[in-house]
Amino acid sequence: MVDPANTALGKMLLEEITPVVMVLCTPLVEESCLKNGLSFIQMLSPFCNFTNIDVPVRTASDQPYRLQKFKLRLFYASDIRQPNLEVAKERLKQVITQAGEKDFSEMLSDPPQVNDLLSRPESEIVPSWFQFFNKELVRTLCFSDHEAFDHPVACLLVVSSKDEEPINRFVDLFNTNKLPSLLNDGAMDPKVLKHYLLVHDNQDGASEKATKLLTQMKSTFGPNDCQLLCINSSQDGQNHHQGNPWAPFKSDALPTENLGCFLNIDDFNEIKDLMQELSSKHIIPFMEQKIRILNQQVSATRKGFRNQIKNLWWRKGKEDASDSPNGPVYTFSSVESQIRILGDYAFMLRDYELALSNYRLISTDYKLDKAWKRYAGVQEMMGLTYFLLDQSRKEAEYCMENAFNTYLKLGSAGQQNATRCGLWWVEMLKTRDEIKEAATVYFRICSEDPLHSAVMLEQASFCYLLSKPPMLHKYGFHLVLSGDHYKKCDQIKHAIRTYRSAVSVYKGTTWSLIKDHVHFHIGQWYAFLGMYDVAVTHMLELLACSHQSKTTQELFLRDFLQIVQKTGKTFEVLKLQLPAINISSLKVIFEDHRTYASAAAASVKESVWRSLEEDMIPSLSTAKSNWLELQSKLVPKKYKESNICVAGEAIKVDVEFKNPLEISITILSVSLICELSANPEEMNSDGNGSNIELQNDQNKTSTSTRDIDSSLILSEVDLSLEGGETTLVQLTVTPRVEGILKIVGVKWKLSSSVVGFHNFESNPLNKNVAKGRRKAKYSPDNYLKFIVIKSLPKLEGIIHSLPEKTYVGDLRHLVLELSNRSKFPVKNLKMKINNPRFLNAGNQRELNVEFPACLGKKTNVVQSGGLSNINKVLQNVFLFPEDISVQEETSLSWPLWFRAAVPGNISLCVTIYYEMEDVSNIMKYRTLRMHYNLQVLPSLDVSFELSPCPSRLQEFLLRMDVVNKTSSECFRVHQLSSVGKQWEISLLQPVDSILPSQSLFAGQALSCFFKLKDRRKSSTSEDSIPSPSLLLQSDVRLGPQGNSEALFDVHSSPLADFHNSERLHQEMPLQGNEYKVDFVFISQLLKGDIDSGAPNTPLLISHHACHCSLSSMSSISWLVDGPQTVQHNFSASLCEVNLRMAITNSSDAVASVHISTFDSPSSGIQSSDASAPQPGSPPENQAGWCDMSVVNDMKVITSDVLATRFTKSVSLESVSQFIWSGSSSTKLELQPRSTAEIPLQISVFAPGIYDLSNYVLNWNLMPNSEEGNQGEANKSSGVCQGYPYYLTVIQST
Amino acid sequence: MIVCVAVVGYQNNPLYIQSFTDADDALKLHHIVHCSLDVVDERVNNPKKSGPPLNETFLGLLYPTENYKVYGYLTNTKVKFILVTTDLDVRDADVRNFFKRFHAVYVDAVSNPFHVPGKKITSRTFAERVSTIVKSFGLSSAG
Repeated sequence: MVDPANTALGKMLLEEITPVVMVLCTPLVEESCLKNGLSFIQMLSPFCNFTNIDVPVRTASDQPYRLQKFKLRLFYASDIRQPNLEVAKERLKQVITQAGEKDFSEMLSDPPQVNDLLSRPESEIVPSWFQFFNKELVRTLCFSDHEAFDHPVACLLVVSSKDEEPINRFVDLFNTNKLPSLLNDGAMDPKVLKHYLLVHDNQDGASEKATKLLTQMKSTFGPNDCQLLCINSSQDGQNHHQGNPWAPFKSDALPTENLGCFLNIDDFNEIKDLMQELSSKHIIPFMEQKIRILNQQVSATRKGFRNQIKNLWWRKGKEDASDSPNGPVYTFSSVESQIRILGDYAFMLRDYELALSNYRLISTDYKLDKAWKRYAGVQEMMGLTYFLLDQSRKEAEYCMENAFNTYLKLGSAGQQNATRCGLWWVEMLKTRDEIKEAATVYFRICSEDPLHSAVMLEQASFCYLLSKPPMLHKYGFHLVLSGDHYKKCDQIKHAIRTYRSAVSVYKGTTWSLIKDHVHFHIGQWYAFLGMYDVAVTHMLELLACSHQSKTTQELFLRDFLQIVQKTGKTFEVLKLQLPAINISSLKVIFEDHRTYASAAAASVKESVWRSLEEDMIPSLSTAKSNWLELQSKLVPKKYKESNICVAGEAIKVDVEFKNPLEISITILSVSLICELSANPEEMNSDGNGSNIELQNDQNKTSTSTRDIDSSLILSEVDLSLEGGETTLVQLTVTPRVEGILKIVGVKWKLSSSVVGFHNFESNPLNKNVAKGRRKAKYSPDNYLKFIVIKSLPKLEGIIHSLPEKTYVGDLRHLVLELSNRSKFPVKNLKMKINNPRFLNAGNQRELNVEFPACLGKKTNVVQSGGLSNINKVLQNVFLFPEDISVQEETSLSWPLWFRAAVPGNISLCVTIYYEMEDVSNIMKYRTLRMHYNLQVLPSLDVSFELSPCPSRLQEFLLRMDVVNKTSSECFRVHQLSSVGKQWEISLLQPVDSILPSQSLFAGQALSCFFKLKDRRKSSTSEDSIPSPSLLLQSDVRLGPQGNSEALFDVHSSPLADFHNSERLHQEMPLQGNEYKVDFVFISQLLKGDIDSGAPNTPLLISHHACHCSLSSMSSISWLVDGPQTVQHNFSASLCEVNLRMAITNSSDAVASVHISTFDSPSSGIQSSDASAPQPGSPPENQAGWCDMSVVNDMKVITSDVLATRFTKSVSLESVSQFIWSGSSSTKLELQPRSTAEIPLQISVFAPGIYDLSNYVLNWNLMPNSEEGNQGEANKSSGVCQGYPYYLTVIQST
Repeated sequence: MIVCVAVVGYQNNPLYIQSFTDADDALKLHHIVHCSLDVVDERVNNPKKSGPPLNETFLGLLYPTENYKVYGYLTNTKVKFILVTTDLDVRDADVRNFFKRFHAVYVDAVSNPFHVPGKKITSRTFAERVSTIVKSFGLSSAG
C-alpha cells in the first residue's frame, strides 16, 4: 500500500490543511516588494513549503516524533474572511472559460477514437485543468466558521524601515479595528502568536538604521519575536533566478516579467532562513504548546466516565434552548470549539491519532446539538484522518458519505461544502482504484449550478472511461449530459468538446437517435461559433435520417442548408447521402456495333438479340476477329477488352435515386463525372510510360470536364423526389473525340451549394449490367471504361403507327423508317423479325398503297398461285434489295405488314443489319435493334366444324361459330374465304336472316352454315346440281348482298404470308388427310376505341383457321341415289325401284368394299353391333345437321347405347314391306381416289314410306406397300351401317 | 408504469426500443437503455459469488436513476432485454414474470422466417403483444 500521504489526496491535504499565518504589513513594505513585481506574500510564498524541515514534535503523548514536511499558508488579514460566493463563482467560471479556450484551440483535429484513448496514460486522457478547477473549488470554502484549520495560528506583522515610527506602526497594525471580522466576532481566537518583522530595502541605503530599529523592537516586543529582513540587495535589478520560484505563485505573471529581479542570492537565503525559523522555532512550538494545553483542558472536562455522564446530561438540558438551523453558535472559547481546534492542530501536526480521538469526541456532541454543519465538518475530517491513518477503509468512506449526506441535507448552505467533501471522497476512492464509485460520487456532486455540474459530469465520464473494464456507454452518456450542462452555461466550446468525445462512443453503432442528436448539436454549436465548415461535416451525418420523424427531418435539412448557405461557398461532398443511390441499379447502355432504337430495345436480354442476329451477321467469330485485329493495332492491349463506343454517340447510364426521407427534396444538375483521356495511339507508343501518361491525361481531363470541355457532352437532369420516392434517372455522356472514356461517377446538387459525388467504382461490381454475359469476363474497372472510336454512320429506325394495344387478328400496314444522320451511306441492309406471325416485311411497291383497298381482289390480275410467297416468308432474314442503301442524311421507308396473331403481351424484336460503305472503319457493320411491346386482346373466337353432307358426295357442311369476346367492341363480319382453289364455299342461308345488322356486338355469338364442295372431284364424277352462282367461289361475302365492298384476296400478300405463318404454327403432326381446309375469316372493327393512333378507317381483323377436317371421316363414303317418290299400282304387280349407290374412296390405298343387304333388319344390325364402335354410322338426325365431333378431334361419338336405340327404332316399324332384290351381296375394289357406282334394286309390296338403311358396308383398305405409316386416324377397315334413305311409294290409281 | 422496453442485440445494437410515455423523451430513454448496457456487461463478466446461478437469465435491477429503475434480462443468445419503469417499489417476481413473457414474444418474433437475425424487429404483431404485456404489467403491480 502506498503511503496515504503520497497519494493524490494525501498530497492535497498536506497542502491545503496547513497552519495559516496572518500577515499584516504596511504599504511601504508592499512598495518595496513591488519593485520585484511581487507582493509581500508572493515574495515569501516559495519559502513556506518545507520538504525537509526535520523538527521534533511532541504533542499530547510524551513520545516525540519528527516532522519532515511542513507548509505554512500566508494570508493578508484582509483576506481572512469567507470569500464572496458570487466572486468565487465568477472566478471559477473564468477558470472554466479559459480552459475551454485553451482546449478548444488544441482540438481542431479529429477527436481520438475511444480505443486510442484507452491506450494512452491517464494523465493524457483527463484534461489537466480539472485538477486546477477542483483546487479552486475547494479554496472557495476556506475560512468557514465551522472549521478550525483555517484559523490563523500566527500573525506576522511587517513594517518597513522607511515607515515613520515603526514601533507605533507595529502596534497600530494589530489594532483590533483592522483585524478580520472573524477574529473580532469570536469565531476565531484572536490570541495568536505574533511575530514582528522589519523589512529593510537595501536600495534605500545602508541597514544601520534598520538594525537600530530592530534593537528597539526587541526591547519593546520581546527579543525572540522580532526579526529584520533585508531585501532588494541587488542594485541593477538584473538578477535572474534559475527556475523562477515565484512564478507558480503569481498566476497572471507575464513570462517576460523578471520576478524577483532585485533579490540577490543573499536576500533569497535570508527569506528562506526567516521562514524556516518562523516555522520551526515559533509556529510549531506554539502549536505543540497549544495542543498540550487544550488536551489537558479537554481531558479534565470531557474525558472519563464522570465527565461523559455530565456532558450528556448537560446537553440534554440544553436541547430546548437553541433550535437554530445550524445548531447553537459556538465561539472559539466554547469547549466544543476548543476540541475542534485541538483536533485540527493535531491534524496539522500529523498526530492523526490524537486528532481522530478528538474528532470522535466532538462529533457526538455536535450530533446531539443538531449542529449539522459542524457535525458534517467533523465527519469529513474523521474520514480524512482515517484515510491518512490508512486504517479502516470502510470507516473512512462511511464518514465521508455521512458528511456528504449531512451537508446535502442542509440544502443550499451546505452545497459547497458537500462539493468539497465529495471531491475529497472522490480522490479517496480513486486512490483505492474504485473509479466506478468515484464516478457515481461525481454524479452526486452535481448541484443546481449547471456549470459545476457540467465539470463534475465530465469528470465522472472520465472515471467511467478509466474504470476497468471501461464503461463506454456510461462514458458517452455522461459526456452528453455534461455537454448539455455546458451549453446551458454558454460554455459552447466545452460543450462541443464533450460532444465530440461522445461521438467516438456512438460511432459505428446503430443507436441512430442518439447519434443524430449528438451530431446535430455539434453542428449547431459549431455554426453558432461561426465554424461552418466543421459544422457542415457534422450535419452531413444527419442527412439520411429516415428513422426520424418528418418534422425532425425537415429541421435537420433546413439547418443543414442554412449552415451551408452561411459558409458562402459550395460544398463538394463525396458520398452525400441525400439522395441515396442504389448502385445495384446502375445500368450502362452503350452502342458499339449494336445500336438500339429505343431504351426498351436496350433492356432486352443480349441473348435474345444474339439468337436473332445469329445467322444475319457475318458469323460472329470472324466478325469479331476482323475488327479486333484492326483494333489491336490501334488500341493498347490492356484496353482490348474494354467496351467500344463511337464518338458522337451517347452512352446512357441509368442510376436509381432514392429519397430516404419523408419530405420531398429537389436535386439539380444530376450529371455524370467522366474522364476522357487522349488518343490511345499515343499511349501505345511505349508500354512503360503509359501509366504516367494516363495519369497526366486524367489530371488534365478531369479538370477540363469541370470546365465543360467540348470533347464531352454531359446531360444534366433536375428532379424532385417525394418522400420515399425512388426514381430512375437516365444520364448520358457523349464523347466528341476519340480516346478513352471512363465514367467515374455521378454528381448532383442538393440545393444551390451542396454538390454530392458518388463514385461508381468504389462499389463492388454488380452483375446487373445490360451486357451481362460479356461483362462477366471483365474486371470491374473495365465496364465503365470505353474506347471511343471515330464516328460511324448509325441508322435510326422507327416503325410508324405500331399500336401498343390491339385485338387479335388486327391487320395493318405499317411503315418502317430508317434514317441515317451521319455523313456516310450504309448498304447491305438485312432485317430479321423474331415473330413473323406478327410482322412481315412488304414489298417496296406496297409503300404507298391504300389500305385496306390494296387487299381487294383484282379481277384482271392473273393469280399466279396462292403459295407463291411462301419462300420469302420462310426465309428468316429479309434481305433488302441490293440496290437499296441509305444515303447520308436521308431516310428510307419500307412497308411492313402487321397482324396480331395471338392474344397476350407480345414482345417484338426487329433487328436490322447494315454495313458501312467506308471500309476503313474499325467496325464494318452495325445492327439496329428495335423492340416493341404490344398488348393483344382477344377479339373474336372463330371455330369451324366440318361434317360430310349426307345427301351429296364431295360436299360438306361447314358450321362457323363466331363469338365476340371483347367487352365493348362491335365487329362487322365481312368475308369467309377458304384457302386454296379446290374448295367452293357457299352460304346455306343469307347472313341477313341470321344477323340482320351484320355486326357482332360484345358478347354476341353467331353460327353460320356453309356448304363446302370439293371441286377437284367434280371433274371425275358429274356434279348433279351445277349452280352457276356458286361456281369458282372460294370466298363468301358475309356482308349485305348489295354491298359493293370488294372482297379481300386471301391469296396474295400479305394475307397469304400471314396465313402461311399461321399454317406453320398450327401445323398438326398428322399428315395425309385429304379433307383439310384452311379458312380465313375477315371482319372489321368499326370504331376502335382501343388505339387512338389508329387510322379512321375500320380495322381489318382476320382470323385464320387451318387444317380443318372432318374429325371422323372414313376413307370410304357413299351415296344412295334414286327416286324419292314412286307411284305404283300395287294391284298389278309389285314395285321394283332401281337405286344407284356411288362409292368414293378418298384414301391413297386400294379399298375393297363389300355391300350386303338384308331384308330382316335384326340380323344385320346384330352383326353391325358386334363391330361397334363404327365410324361413319350416322346417329340421329337433328334438323338436317349431323352431330359430329369437333373438327380435328378424333373422338368417336357413336356408342353402344345409340346403336341399340337405333336398332330398336328400326325394328318397331319393320314389318318388312320390301326386299332387296338383285344381288344381296356385292363386292368391289376401288382404286385410290376413285368413285364407282353400283346398281341396287328393291321390290316393294305395299305403298308406304320405307327406310332403305338395312344394308351394311364393309370396307377394307389394302395396305399401301410403300407407305407403312397408315396413321391411327385412318381406319384400315370398317363396317358401316347404311344411311337412312326414305322412299315413298304411293298407290297409283 | 413501464416507460420503456428494449431489445438489444449481442453486439449492443438496438433491435427494438419502444417507449410507453406520452412525453417526447425517446432520446432520454435511448440514453438510459444504452447506458444500462454497461451494467449488463459488468454483471455478465463479473458474476457475484453469491449471485444467481450461471444459467440465470434475469439480471435484476441494473441501476436506479433518479426517476427510473432499470431491469435487465439476458437470453442465451446474448440478446438483452431492458425494462425501464417508474415504479419505485417493484417486486422482482413481477419483473421476472414480465421478462419471461417478453422472452416468449421475442422468440415468436424472431422465429418468423422473414426476420433477419440481427436486424431490427419490425413485426407489428410483436409490438402489439409487447404493449399488451406492458399494460398487464402495470395492472398486476397495481393490484
